[in-house]
Amino acid sequence: MLAQRFLDIFGAEEQIVTPSGSCAAMVREWYPQLFRDSPEGAHRARAVGHRTFELSEFLVRVLARTDVGARLPASVVYHPSCHGLRGLGLRDEPLRLLAAVRDLRLIPLSGAEECCGFGGLFAVKFSALSGAMLATKLDAIEASGAEFVTATDASCLMHIAGGLAKRGSRVRAMHLAEVLASA
Amino acid sequence: MTRETVLARIKAAQAAVADSGGGGSQGGQAPATAELPVLPVPQSFADPAALFIERARQLGVGVEIAVSIDDAAGRVPAWCRHKSVHRVAVWDTPDLAPIVASLRTEGIQILRPEAPLGELATADLGITGAAWGVAETATLVLPSSLAQPRLTSLLPPIHLAVLSADRILPDLPALFRSPGRLPSALTLITGPSRSADVGLTPVLGAHGPMEVMVFLVRNVAAEAASPLA
Amino acid sequence: MTDHPGSLATAEASGAGATPRIDMIGNSERALRDQDLQDALGRAMPSFRRQRAAAVTELPEWEALRTTAAAIKDHTLANLEAYLGLLEARVREAGGVVHWAADAAEARRIITDLARARGLRRTVKSKSMTTEEIHLNPALEAAGVKVVETDLGEYVVQLAGDTPSHIIAPIIHKSAASVAELFTRKLGVPLYERPEDITRAARQALRAEFLAADLGVTGVNFAIAETGTIVVVENEGNARLTTTRPRVHIAIMGIEKVIPRLADLGVFLRLLARSSTGQRASVYVSLLTGPRRAGEVDGAEEFHLVILDNGRSRLLADPRMREALRCIRCGACLNVCPVYERAGGHAYESVYSGPIGAVITPALEGLERGHELPFASTLCGACAEVCPVRIDLPRMLLELRGRAVRAGLVGRVDRLFARAWTFVMWDPTRLRIVAAVARALQRLIVRDGRIPWLPYPLSGWTAHRAAPPLSGRPFRDRRGR
Repeated sequence: MLAQRFLDIFGAEEQIVTPSGSCAAMVREWYPQLFRDSPEGAHRARAVGHRTFELSEFLVRVLARTDVGARLPASVVYHPSCHGLRGLGLRDEPLRLLAAVRDLRLIPLSGAEECCGFGGLFAVKFSALSGAMLATKLDAIEASGAEFVTATDASCLMHIAGGLAKRGSRVRAMHLAEVLASA
Repeated sequence: MTRETVLARIKAAQAAVADSGGGGSQGGQAPATAELPVLPVPQSFADPAALFIERARQLGVGVEIAVSIDDAAGRVPAWCRHKSVHRVAVWDTPDLAPIVASLRTEGIQILRPEAPLGELATADLGITGAAWGVAETATLVLPSSLAQPRLTSLLPPIHLAVLSADRILPDLPALFRSPGRLPSALTLITGPSRSADVGLTPVLGAHGPMEVMVFLVRNVAAEAASPLA
Repeated sequence: MTDHPGSLATAEASGAGATPRIDMIGNSERALRDQDLQDALGRAMPSFRRQRAAAVTELPEWEALRTTAAAIKDHTLANLEAYLGLLEARVREAGGVVHWAADAAEARRIITDLARARGLRRTVKSKSMTTEEIHLNPALEAAGVKVVETDLGEYVVQLAGDTPSHIIAPIIHKSAASVAELFTRKLGVPLYERPEDITRAARQALRAEFLAADLGVTGVNFAIAETGTIVVVENEGNARLTTTRPRVHIAIMGIEKVIPRLADLGVFLRLLARSSTGQRASVYVSLLTGPRRAGEVDGAEEFHLVILDNGRSRLLADPRMREALRCIRCGACLNVCPVYERAGGHAYESVYSGPIGAVITPALEGLERGHELPFASTLCGACAEVCPVRIDLPRMLLELRGRAVRAGLVGRVDRLFARAWTFVMWDPTRLRIVAAVARALQRLIVRDGRIPWLPYPLSGWTAHRAAPPLSGRPFRDRRGR
């Protein structure tokens, strides 16, 4: 139902950009599955999917920009959200954008490709597992010594930020868009 | 009859899938299943024997190079003395005859394939040939037959295999392309028996041999002269 | 959405006739409190991952191999009856006997009847998930046949009266010290410290069993239709002993284990060991074609192959689930799964655990029993990335979730959440109003810019995280600046 609504509202747009890898992956990869019993619906879903982008892939692949004139004099770790990474194949787009931010020091994150444990309803339904996966991610973030953690997915960040706050950590979470908007 | 039941269920399953348009992960697009895919071509290495030796040593498999079977026959007894071997189970194949003769003159007891199990179980060493070697994985390929029992390479704590370098194939796909009619058992052996079940610590000699030794018969001079080199 | 024939929601449970729901939430919470288990898994899983990664990186053709393997399996599944028929014919030509079992009970009956008919009293078994699935051991024991597990991990499991917790490493949940203590108690050996000595003790005890056994039971990694050959893959040597000494060898295989040609084995063997343990090749691969030939001094005198359905034909009939039958039981998906790493195998309460287990357990045992499993995942996709036969596990987990919802198995809270979300997100005006109300109310619970506590059911969130308050200036109000 919600998917149909999305297509109705956004269907006419030329380009749809979202600050969330998992949302973009949902539209592009999974909508055709949802509409598999309706050839018309599936066709529309695929068409809209082709015009739906996560922010970093839009900037790098569509607009061919890696330097947006940003400046952030700080150390940063990047967490590659799973659906962006494996669903959309986002590997170096966010990294190239971060590399172009002046004075930003990118620190490698150990176990970067391991899931942070958000997973939507999973975070509440299987909260113990989610918390345990989060703890591993937070340990890696804190061990890196970085001042900020960034990601392309608002949902992962909300989960990571919430965990950092609960730990009383001095590490702050910033969405990639916020990093790129820094001057 | 259950056979008919199971096959009928399978046939019904195929019909069900065909009816719903193929399904699969493309959500409606049937995967191409009419034909078997083309298999990758076996690799080829410039010096398969050298790769075999390198990979075998990485596994802890000892490799001694002999220029001929007689050369090997001359050196096996010394190796056996070094390992305190007194009783040897051996394949009854012509290529191993010189080695057997050589061991006999040293006073080492030879157990032939027909030897009773009780004796076999006390052998210190099992000597076999190998129909092929596989370079990529350092694997020995042992067929079973009257003269080539399976237990020779399994029961004793040490397994010594005599392998001719010109029988080394590049990889497993090359092996499976043409092994001829299969024997009752074709055993691929890659290194000594091992297990990491206890405390995640790798241990050798879980059930099979703790040590594998390969005497590689390689006549380098003959290889260089060969038109096939 | 259409219903599929052999609907999973109405699948009969096989095996122990269990209908109680697998309590994955409770089991995983208990597992997380078990520090020894967490330590063991926390050491083992990263190690498996590293070894696999190294072995895979060595092969530039890895991705092509995966695609080829998936295609071979799909072709085989689409022509399964023909290949099983060919396999049967060739096994018989080689002097073997083929039996067909529709379900677990029938498989047990075939094997125990055979044991009785041949007067077999002592069995040695090598590791086989299929024999676990059909609960073979108790049936043999009841028929007066002694059964000894010979795979080291399975031997320990048997002595301890436990169950295996990982497809490849059954006692990953046990420390070396606990194994040593078990051996002292059950075998009367001294209390060893070093794994080498502990292993040696097992080797000796089991040697005697191998030499005295009259029946050997194994599973089958691959069954080659073209030649009537079964392939058994191992590292220890116990499967070789199991198939060489006892005079009768019974091998049991699921219908999906058949592959068309000997040449196909080259593809699968190159994928299996590297995916499973990071080795280039497993130590022993036995290609067995019929019983021993005339004149041979070892090898079984009689070879029996049991071909088992037990719910696999239901998976086969289900176009969205069929690809789960490609599985070659390598265990790679378990090793990369962050949920498995923390919950451990026992939490799945099933023979098959990890991501593949979360898919096939509801399929083979029914959604009523297994519907919680597909939800125990963030759909991170790590499993699909490593599966050597490209099984799209996340897609199937999502599919099973949909089926669980449609079957009315999902709880009130989940449904309420989904309805509430749909309601709020339906319309920008609605969202604006709800957000304004929430912003007003949240002032009561925000502390230092964070919400530290929320009532049930959202308390699950705040147990581990603070919640972010709604922004005073939402993005939609900032556009155009």
